[in-house]
Amino acid sequence: MGFLGNLFGGGRRDRSASVAKQRLMMVLVDDRYKLTPDMLEQMKIEMAEVLSRYLPHVDSDQIEVTLLRGEANDHLKAEIPLKRGRDE
Amino acid sequence: MARVITITSGKGGVGKTTTTANLGTALAMRGARVAVMDADIGLRNLDVVMGLENRIVYDLVDVVEGRARLRQALIKDKRLPELCLLPAAQTRDKDAVSPDQMVYLTNQLRTEFDFVLIDSPAGIEGGFRNAIVGADEVIIVTTPEVSAVRDADRIVGLVEAAEKGTPSLIVNRIKPRLVNRGEMLSVEDVIELLAINLLGIVPDDEAIVTSTNRGEAAVYDQHSLAGRAFLNIARRLNGEEVPFLPLQDQPGVLERFFGIFGRRRT
Repeated sequence: MGFLGNLFGGGRRDRSASVAKQRLMMVLVDDRYKLTPDMLEQMKIEMAEVLSRYLPHVDSDQIEVTLLRGEANDHLKAEIPLKRGRDE
Repeated sequence: MARVITITSGKGGVGKTTTTANLGTALAMRGARVAVMDADIGLRNLDVVMGLENRIVYDLVDVVEGRARLRQALIKDKRLPELCLLPAAQTRDKDAVSPDQMVYLTNQLRTEFDFVLIDSPAGIEGGFRNAIVGADEVIIVTTPEVSAVRDADRIVGLVEAAEKGTPSLIVNRIKPRLVNRGEMLSVEDVIELLAINLLGIVPDDEAIVTSTNRGEAAVYDQHSLAGRAFLNIARRLNGEEVPFLPLQDQPGVLERFFGIFGRRRT
């Protein structure tokens, strides 16, 4: 996308198809696993608590959790950015 | 022995009946002996879509309850002698038939045909369960809309729970122009969300309205894009590798979808 996307009005982020896809991703997680957006937020906070016991402070706002569908199994993927420690 | 394939969707109005009629017709055009069964008891429709509504004497419930033999209830298509319809009852409800009776009925049909296509009712209740209980394979029809995709996902789970394997997918009523503008979910989006094999892409086509009005299948219409898409799906059901139709305004789409299809089929 990049250049062409910018040329034609700022990318697809606001297009209704990608809004639909994002909404569906959330809804399907809820439908399949009874995991509401509120519960997902709570999960991130608790993950941050646990991780902070072992690692430099992890901020729950920085954790990104996504559900990936596979043919046999679904996967929960968590991306957790870490602050660099000073004494490496 | 026939392959018994149920066509279902969860959400109503996405094109199950049109798909069943067209795939049944296309398979019969290619020489297969095909029975199409309307499992939507109480909301009979496959007969009018196929233009056979005036020929019904007995229905599925008459067979199950012993008032008619299967052969008496089967209606021959107007053009294709190898295509038969088993109509649903119109004045009864879904509880008129039990799952065991559906299995018995589909097994009877198996011996006489190469393909048995079952048109499932919408929803996830008894009628849907009856429609899949005798099936070897399940096809889910969806449209690129949030409600239809959400319901389709629910159906994937129920079909897998019923140990019918992973269903395959037909994405119906794609509007390439809207997809290109980013205002309609693409086939790729839908596949990514549902994570099942793609069997076919059917473009939105006004010819479907005309052919349904007349009670003729769109696969007879050489100029109908949807008709051609259904013919291709029938060939894929027969095990042929058929590339997906290039959608207007969407260069490259063919190769990409064929890639997905080819990879997952093997």
